[in-house]
Amino acid sequence: MDAAGSLLAVRDLDAGYGDLRILYDVYLDVADGEYVTIVGPNGAGKSTVMKSVFGLTTYMGGSITFAGTDITGRSPEDIIHEGIGYVPQNDNVFTSLSVAENLAMGAYILEDVPKAALREVYERFPILDERRDQKAGTMSGGQRQMLAMGRALMLEPDLLLLDEPSAGLAPDLVDEMFDKIDEINEAGTAILMVEQNATEALRRCDRGYVFVQGRNRFVDSGQALLDDEEVRREFLGG
Amino acid sequence: MGIADTYSDGRRFVVARPFALIVGLLVVLLAVDFVSGLATGRIAVSDVTTLVWDGLMQGLVVGLAGIGLSMTYSILNFANFAHGDYITGGAFSGWAVTYLLAGLGRADVGSLLLIGAGGSVFGGALGIGITATPIAVLGGLIFAGLFTVALALLIDRLVYRSMRDQGGISLLIASVGIAFALRYLIAFVFTTENRGVTDAGGVPGIQGYLIDGYVTVSAHDATLLVVAVGLMLGVHFLLQRTKLGTAMRAMADNEDLARVTGIPTERVVRATWVIGGALTGVAGYMFVLWKGTIGFNDGWLLLLLVFAAVILGGIGSVYGAILGGLVIGLTSSMSVLWIPSDFARAAAFFVMILVLLFRPEGLFEGRSTA
Repeated sequence: MDAAGSLLAVRDLDAGYGDLRILYDVYLDVADGEYVTIVGPNGAGKSTVMKSVFGLTTYMGGSITFAGTDITGRSPEDIIHEGIGYVPQNDNVFTSLSVAENLAMGAYILEDVPKAALREVYERFPILDERRDQKAGTMSGGQRQMLAMGRALMLEPDLLLLDEPSAGLAPDLVDEMFDKIDEINEAGTAILMVEQNATEALRRCDRGYVFVQGRNRFVDSGQALLDDEEVRREFLGG
Repeated sequence: MGIADTYSDGRRFVVARPFALIVGLLVVLLAVDFVSGLATGRIAVSDVTTLVWDGLMQGLVVGLAGIGLSMTYSILNFANFAHGDYITGGAFSGWAVTYLLAGLGRADVGSLLLIGAGGSVFGGALGIGITATPIAVLGGLIFAGLFTVALALLIDRLVYRSMRDQGGISLLIASVGIAFALRYLIAFVFTTENRGVTDAGGVPGIQGYLIDGYVTVSAHDATLLVVAVGLMLGVHFLLQRTKLGTAMRAMADNEDLARVTGIPTERVVRATWVIGGALTGVAGYMFVLWKGTIGFNDGWLLLLLVFAAVILGGIGSVYGAILGGLVIGLTSSMSVLWIPSDFARAAAFFVMILVLLFRPEGLFEGRSTA
């Protein structure tokens, strides 16, 4: 895929934290409405790729283009205005705030809480609607994850970055979480997801990237990666 | 449950928490002494009422001053030791304006602006009071708030902002330095002498006979009550009902998440200094109006009680600061029933230590602003 046709285009990206370099010449594309996952062993720099897109790492080289705009080296505060939403892996809700307040904070950059987006979030996650006034800190892991996603959806982003959405969830909730992500994607939002549950993530996504030690290793459709002998043996546990 | 169970439960409690038992006994002892004192007339009901009222007033001052400290702690993650001198700065700036408004034409402007440094003008002679010179008091009160906002923003800009990424300890030590610099700058300009600023005899009050004596509520008490409660309600409304207040709570809760959510964190920090500064300046002004004297050490001495209140309430919690202030105020005022008044402060700290032993996180769990 060429950079011109994609929503997000990462080219020759070098990035890390402080003096520590994690990523080497990374490339990555997400097309409009596409569902892309990043898999790979621990320490492969999966989350770092995502954080770099959102301006949370130290930039060391290369470029990141989103919807035709160069967002390389810009701050998260800035990038959020461009239409990218980010759901961190841990501590991703304001625990002392209510569900409704968490969602309102998701739309902080807008003058008022957008009614249509709020209604959509409540329709997508009925549990949040039921618990509007509950403090986020008293909710279960799965509910918090939904709240975190709901908060990121308040600005109706074109691209949603999800860092390990199934981490720490009870097994029966993992499927539900992936179903929700499918729904969000089907409604038109492009997804870039890092996932440790690689098999399930590849089964659901359009395309997958395999990273090893901060470098691109494989890229193909999710199904093709699942069928690939080498990928299966090395990264999916046989 | 049988008697044996009760007995063994009791024994387990005594063994596990002997300290709790001692404190419990002490509380019971004081309560018994208090009730018997009241019954025998050894402790006058009117005296107790006066002490409670006095403690309440002191508590309001401490609580009001504590809100700003708690806010900056929860959002900037450091204990600002210069806070006491912000209180003093607010008091002096406000009273300079009050003197100017009350005494213009009757004394020279320089003496008025220096709050009668060196005995050049006396507040009593100017007849300053909420009823006699309401405009001068109101003007001073507002200026105290504005000045302290400017002071807090200036110091943040010059010192704290560039240290934002450093640890709380570096910031704390820097703030101690600022505390000294401010205090002695104030002393240099206004002299170190403690002086009366209100026309204490001319402040009207309501006196009521209660069972065995008189209880007085002065107009300045009433002013303090109205201003403090009004501002506390205002802060509550701000934190719970406004977008900025919610963002402040969000940032106190999780600063990294606030940033990736798009909350403009520097702007929230500035708003925190504005609100905290205004409350602190007003607290300093009201403290002086209520006690009737002003001194360059006022805020620094008050700061210890403010810290006690804020820690007692759960550092970082605004409601904890208010409640902690009332507990500290009431304790130090009521303690004179049993101990010499010189030790009233010690009693307040003793209660703080006790509360923290049993509830280390404070009355309200801190770091949440709410």
